[in-house]
Amino acid sequence: MNGSGKMVIYVVAAIAALLIPQVPMLQPYLIQFAFLWVMILFAMTWDVMGGQMGYNSFGNIVFFGVGMYATAVVQRDLYFTVEEYANVAGGEQAALTPVEYLTGLSLGMGTGAVLAVVVAAVLGSGILGLRGHYFAICTLGLGIAAGELASGWDYIGAGSGLVTPLLPDALGERGPFFFYLFLVLAVITFAVLKRLYAGQFGLAINAIRDDEDKADALGLHATRYKTVAWCVSGFFLALTGGAFGNLVIFIDPTDVAFAGPTFGVWMVLMAILGGKGTLWGPVIGATVFHITQELFWTYLFGWQRVALGLLIVVVVVFFPLGIVGWLRERWPQRFGEVVDEEARRVQVSLEGER
Amino acid sequence: MFRYLKPAFILLPAAALAMSLAGAAQAKVEGDTIVLGAALSFTGKYKTNGKHTKNGYELAVKKVNEMGGVKVGGKSYKLKVVYYDDESTPARGAQLAERLIKQDGIQFMLGPYSSGLTKAMAPVTEKYKIPMVEGNGASRSLFNKGYKYLFAVLSTSEQYLAEAINLAAQQTLAAGKDPADLKLALAMENDPFSQDIRAGVLDDAQTHSMNVVIDDKLPKELNDMTVTLTKVRALKPDILVVSGHSKGAATAVRQMMEQKVDVPMFAITHCEAADVVGKFGPGADYTLCATQWAETMTYKDKYFGAAPDYAKLFEKEYGYVPPYQAAESTASVLVWVDALQRAGSFDREKLRDALAATEIQTFYGNIKFDETGKNIAKPMVLRQIQGGQYKVVAPTKWASDKLIHPRPKWSER
Repeated sequence: MNGSGKMVIYVVAAIAALLIPQVPMLQPYLIQFAFLWVMILFAMTWDVMGGQMGYNSFGNIVFFGVGMYATAVVQRDLYFTVEEYANVAGGEQAALTPVEYLTGLSLGMGTGAVLAVVVAAVLGSGILGLRGHYFAICTLGLGIAAGELASGWDYIGAGSGLVTPLLPDALGERGPFFFYLFLVLAVITFAVLKRLYAGQFGLAINAIRDDEDKADALGLHATRYKTVAWCVSGFFLALTGGAFGNLVIFIDPTDVAFAGPTFGVWMVLMAILGGKGTLWGPVIGATVFHITQELFWTYLFGWQRVALGLLIVVVVVFFPLGIVGWLRERWPQRFGEVVDEEARRVQVSLEGER
Repeated sequence: MFRYLKPAFILLPAAALAMSLAGAAQAKVEGDTIVLGAALSFTGKYKTNGKHTKNGYELAVKKVNEMGGVKVGGKSYKLKVVYYDDESTPARGAQLAERLIKQDGIQFMLGPYSSGLTKAMAPVTEKYKIPMVEGNGASRSLFNKGYKYLFAVLSTSEQYLAEAINLAAQQTLAAGKDPADLKLALAMENDPFSQDIRAGVLDDAQTHSMNVVIDDKLPKELNDMTVTLTKVRALKPDILVVSGHSKGAATAVRQMMEQKVDVPMFAITHCEAADVVGKFGPGADYTLCATQWAETMTYKDKYFGAAPDYAKLFEKEYGYVPPYQAAESTASVLVWVDALQRAGSFDREKLRDALAATEIQTFYGNIKFDETGKNIAKPMVLRQIQGGQYKVVAPTKWASDKLIHPRPKWSER
């Protein structure tokens, strides 16, 4: 497909997404869609490391939690003292004006994103020297440690959690507000990642995935690229976390913010389901995952976890490359790969003889 | 054949999405059925209590429907509850509250299990102005936020173990000693409910100027508290207070028994829900248990009769003695029934006002809400396990037996 053809598709998709809240039949599902955008953000940000660079991180949830707490704390400390807030938060007395709410939210999300980048840079320079399983296990530990630290820190509510301010009525219903907030975030993230993957950065991290030693030997500053990649991932994940705290309203240190066993694992699953290392794979994987999960929760009540487990098995068995990876293997021309028909036939006939 | 299966796996979610859209937006009242909504913990760390909560709701629905249903504006309606599984995580709870309200059109909510889940759902129901009657979120922090649509039939968590501290002080005074010399050990799960209990116990300890010698935060999913018990052996406190839902109760009683830790007074929450007597037999003896309700109390209502009748009916239906978590859940449904009948309408604001004006007696106790939505008409009860039986020892009005204090040492049992 040529460039302008693709452009048309993007524009149509964007308009379609923007119009969803206007369709009466879909209005009850806006928060559901907001969660879907969050899932897509999870998968996309994870794929920077796990897919494009081949570094399986189980600790990305740290950035999500950092962003969430930073945002909530900024929102709180801008207008209240800790004591005051603990006694009124969430109810009518803590009602903020729309300007106050938006200021707090955007400043908070910004702070969270900066903080996450700092955390990623510091941690990355320390542990991105590790490779393969060692890196994966190390990051797993990070997520758990962060949750435990947050559980013990009274300033951010410790184990009792932290309640974020309620959306002021003047800003409309929760549905459209969070729908658009996360949609914009997801679209920006997608565009930035697409741009990054298309350039030198993309080539560099792909090279690291394919053969880090060779890339290093060719003069590529592998650790620097790896750290930047983690910072990019952390930046967008922290923004997501900041907004997510406001969507869920109640921040629990281990079950919402540093929720390794749920969100932390899902982001890996979704990217793999859709096809890791592809641009659209995480988006498609997250969509399929979220929809099936919601349906299992409704129609297979009590068996949802079993069904989800089966789905994962099915994916691993039938689509080891993920949905997009499978499509790409089947119809490589559609993905812009040049196929030498002659060579393919030879290969197929060889396989047939074997 | 696999070649044809693959596209099917891709089409499946798409078809399923279409199906789910078709089933959306039910009304709050369907024909002659009033639909209540609840997100409960059927899986995850709270699943034991999630089951108690559901059984409590279901028994109430069954009984009310058998007795002619709910009369609203001269017409009789049946009750029904729509459930979802919140998996014991607040993120899911908030999402499900939203889903119940927006997708399923639920206008009448029942509470989830635990303070944490209630804290996650209450802001959502509040935002949409959907009244929620709950029986399992006891944290005080739920009732200082100015929520107008949240009503709780239970006593808040600072009251859970206050009576134990007072009892210890009385015993010490009676023995001619100074309560200020008492050493107190706390081991509390790091979650909203137990941390709130901790705050309450600390307040009470302060009024008697007791010394807090151990103040441990325990992890969620509590399976081992050896570290705390080792400290207890070394520091020999006079009172050990533990709170950590059902898992915490079972762990505490089991390890006290296994490690033969002696302490003069041992008070916990969730004895009944964890079935410590059934699990540990005589090992659970002399434990003090905070309870919202006891089946020996004399409250009654027209649906279930007196408390013992409820206990009998529940046991017949589900095969175990109802823990208070089930009783308070049943009571939540009864509060809805009463409010619906008094309001005589399905108007949300009228219903909210009717709920706020609730003043009834149920088998579970008297229910009257203050302006923050918590029940102020019912006391907490403290029971001691004596010979495998739960005996009420405080407050004095309900006490059936005398407290055995101090606990006999393990070597003397």
